[in-house]
Amino acid sequence: MARKSNLVAIIGEDSFQKLRSSRCLLVGAGGIGSELLKDLILMEFGEIHVVDLDTIDLSNLNRQFLFRQKDIKQPKSTTAVKAVQHFNNSKLVPYQGNVMDTFTFPLHWFEQFDIIFNALDNLAARRYVNKISQFLSLPLLESGTAGFDGYMQPIIPGKTECFECTTKETPKAFPVCTIRSTPSQPIHCIVWAKNFLFNQLFASEVYTDEDNNKDWGTDDDEEIKRIKQETNELHELQKIIISKNVSRIPEILHKLFIQDINKLLAIENLWKTRTKPVPLSLSQIKGSMNTSKFDSNSIGTIQEQISHFIKITEQLMDRYAREENHIEFDKDDVDTLEFVVTAANIRSHIFNIPMKSVFDIKQIAGNIIPAIATTNAIIAGLSSLISLRVLNLLKYAPVNNYTDLNMAFTAKASNLSQNRYLSNPKLASSNCNCPVCSKVCRGVIKLSFDSLKKLKLSHLIGLIRDKYEYPEDISLLDASNQRLLADYDFEDLNDRTLSEVNLENGSIILFSDENDDTMVRKSIELYLDVNDRFPCDTCKLPDVRVPLVASTDDLSKNEEDEEKEEDKAVGTTDNNKEKDGIVILGDDESDIVIDTEPSNDSKKRPAGIQELGEPSNKRKKLANDPVNFDLVELD
Amino acid sequence: MKSMTEGKLSEDEIALYDRQIRLWGMAAQANMRSAKVLLINLGAIGSEIAKSIVLSGIGHLTILDAHKVTEEDLGSQFFIGSKDVGQWKIDAAKERVQDLNSRVELKFDKQFFQEKDEKFFQHFDLVVATEMKADDAVKLNELTRKLNIPLYVAGSNGLFAYIFIDLIEFISEDEKLQSIRPTVVGPISNNRSIIEITTRKDEEDGKKTYERIKIKNCYTSLKEVLKGATLNEKLTRRQLKRVTSILPLTLSLLQHELKQKSKTINVEQMKMDAAVWCKQLGIPTSVLTDEYTQQFIKQRGIEFAPVAAIIGGAVAQDVINILGKRLSPLSNFIVFDGITLDMPLFEF
Repeated sequence: MARKSNLVAIIGEDSFQKLRSSRCLLVGAGGIGSELLKDLILMEFGEIHVVDLDTIDLSNLNRQFLFRQKDIKQPKSTTAVKAVQHFNNSKLVPYQGNVMDTFTFPLHWFEQFDIIFNALDNLAARRYVNKISQFLSLPLLESGTAGFDGYMQPIIPGKTECFECTTKETPKAFPVCTIRSTPSQPIHCIVWAKNFLFNQLFASEVYTDEDNNKDWGTDDDEEIKRIKQETNELHELQKIIISKNVSRIPEILHKLFIQDINKLLAIENLWKTRTKPVPLSLSQIKGSMNTSKFDSNSIGTIQEQISHFIKITEQLMDRYAREENHIEFDKDDVDTLEFVVTAANIRSHIFNIPMKSVFDIKQIAGNIIPAIATTNAIIAGLSSLISLRVLNLLKYAPVNNYTDLNMAFTAKASNLSQNRYLSNPKLASSNCNCPVCSKVCRGVIKLSFDSLKKLKLSHLIGLIRDKYEYPEDISLLDASNQRLLADYDFEDLNDRTLSEVNLENGSIILFSDENDDTMVRKSIELYLDVNDRFPCDTCKLPDVRVPLVASTDDLSKNEEDEEKEEDKAVGTTDNNKEKDGIVILGDDESDIVIDTEPSNDSKKRPAGIQELGEPSNKRKKLANDPVNFDLVELD
Repeated sequence: MKSMTEGKLSEDEIALYDRQIRLWGMAAQANMRSAKVLLINLGAIGSEIAKSIVLSGIGHLTILDAHKVTEEDLGSQFFIGSKDVGQWKIDAAKERVQDLNSRVELKFDKQFFQEKDEKFFQHFDLVVATEMKADDAVKLNELTRKLNIPLYVAGSNGLFAYIFIDLIEFISEDEKLQSIRPTVVGPISNNRSIIEITTRKDEEDGKKTYERIKIKNCYTSLKEVLKGATLNEKLTRRQLKRVTSILPLTLSLLQHELKQKSKTINVEQMKMDAAVWCKQLGIPTSVLTDEYTQQFIKQRGIEFAPVAAIIGGAVAQDVINILGKRLSPLSNFIVFDGITLDMPLFEF
């Protein structure tokens, strides 16, 4: 008996040969990724390409079974590939990189694969790979775990629901006043310490309140005025940090925990139904100067918190100058973590809220999602198993209709069912309201670099209009950043070339019919694949059928009705109930939460993952705007 | 089960096990450190179980396997490589298993479990047996019952698999938010009953009350299950109609192995046996299809990595759960259909 004999007995010789000649992409070599790599190798996939940006961390080792202590700080992708050599029988190609980087992984790079396995830990990359799978009509196996909870969903573009068809859980957001004036839970104080105080003192970029769209959570002008004033005053405290004068640290304590609390107390409206905060006393601050005991495993007294706050601020003050006047919060940077812990706990104490341990605050501030080996093994097993049916390799269970395939959730472990270990609802067809897979047609424009430089925008518009029979009135958007390129009364850019209007490889443009008619041409989203492989005057539009549809106003009305009908039809089945029960986005540390650090990510982010002109809900807005300080997200 | 001493976890352990301690707490992690587990057979499912429980930081694991590595094994097992063919599997896998977590005390043993005396088993808090014929599983179960040791048995037939659990009698504690109708003491299912409820208020939110629910879980031996398992009066008529054919097929095969050892079984015989089981279970014979019966026979005893990952993951998770003494354990017969991903739990 040979290595392949078991597999051949299950899928047959023909299907075995097909597997051997299949090429799959594994995105992520972390928790689920390590497990998937093992499964895909043992299933004898011919080629497995593994992409992961990350390096190995100590806290990975409880579940990512391909990694050892000695591998810490090494890239996950290459280390994983080395670790499987003894049982490997496939061609393995590791990449250390970001799958969203269009330079390393241009669209045509994805074309080589037969199937994509997602083993990701963040929303942005999931949405990006989902979009790629839609552009290229590549089947995608999406998966995720968080603690005991896990899910696996096959996505067949055009046939079944895509990742964006169902709305993902909206992260919890706190109004400004809860964080700044009236905290009532430990988390409010942690958010204050991490997102507000820490940045005011140690970040190089200044936060201001000059944003008129924020959710203050109050109409009290006096309170809003106070919050704005406080922001400016706190920034003044940064001067103490810059001065490196350690003896001035008590001034910070005095300002934060006595003066500002007294100002709050002066706004009587706030305390009609709430317990009043009690500011620290001068003697508490003075008395804490010399206590030095701080045990990170226990919560300790308020004196110990104050004293450790002073000590840790001293250390950060010293680092501040050395680190070019900018320190970022990092849950694994003990100084920054303990600063947030002590500041949050002192504030909690003042507001009569229980203090928390370093361990607990690290979880909230660092947005740590629990993760275990078993859930990952189960989900990876399901994902690899269902790929046999997605690729139609089980002759005795042929897939005539992709909606006959199953997704799966951990029903028992997630406490959603007492009599099933897994729930396995059949796949739903695409949601006709989905902005990603249904609302637009989609295709790839193949361009040479030469064409990109020479082709005028007006010329491109003409080509698209002729090819898909659009009328005179159209609009053209650079969908990557919602930038209008042209429409019926904006033609200023028409004489510029594509590269002059900043279109490049990986750009996504949206072309829409702007007629007032009841029937309009459906919008088309086009990916610019700019490539040296093409002859120099190439500008090839995709052969896609772009149908006429009822214009948006009429359409949305109809769809609403349809949706209601659907609810009635499916709302009663068990599977759907179970399905609605969990939405998991994280595998590891997910990035959908409290990320309010001013970052340049949005600029660096490659084209394609941002949303089109759909009604923006809170989640989308936040995903596109990580700088938005005021809607503090929590998962 | 033997008493477990709770020791404090070291800083290093807290850092290493951080992501799971955040799920089950320090006390459960400390409990696990003093637990001793016996794993019989390091096949595809056995490898998955060994991997998960060694990573989790269990105290001690003994692996018993009396087989040599075959070419076939290479297609579904990851602790061995092509260079190991012909060697004792234990010898080939040893270092790779230990390498997963140096904190776990590991022992490897090339004997068959039948060669071991009662004393050997008494050392363990729990036994997991994988890829074992039913006659052996029944013998082992008799022994674990006699010694009062919890037992998990798992096996697969290609895309189809099962888990049998016999914890004899197990008291578990669940905690949940009190709803408008508070939980009451009394039976909640055939094998499970609530024996005690205590409440505690949420530390931060005084309006929330948690119920700590003590449940007594009673189990049946494998022999009894194979003698007369039924779903009558446990499931509604509608539920009975939707029971997967993998259940009667699995039970038929196990019973066949119990009576006739490892003799082959043909499709016709299997169809007849499965129909008898349907009657016994109280489910319509219409759940049986020729296609499934044929594939079940064709894939009998075959190991498959993705199925092993799912079954091994489920067993390991429950083992870790009861060793940390946490939530309600699984009860007591689970089958898996790798075509539809159906994985129901049955109480026999």
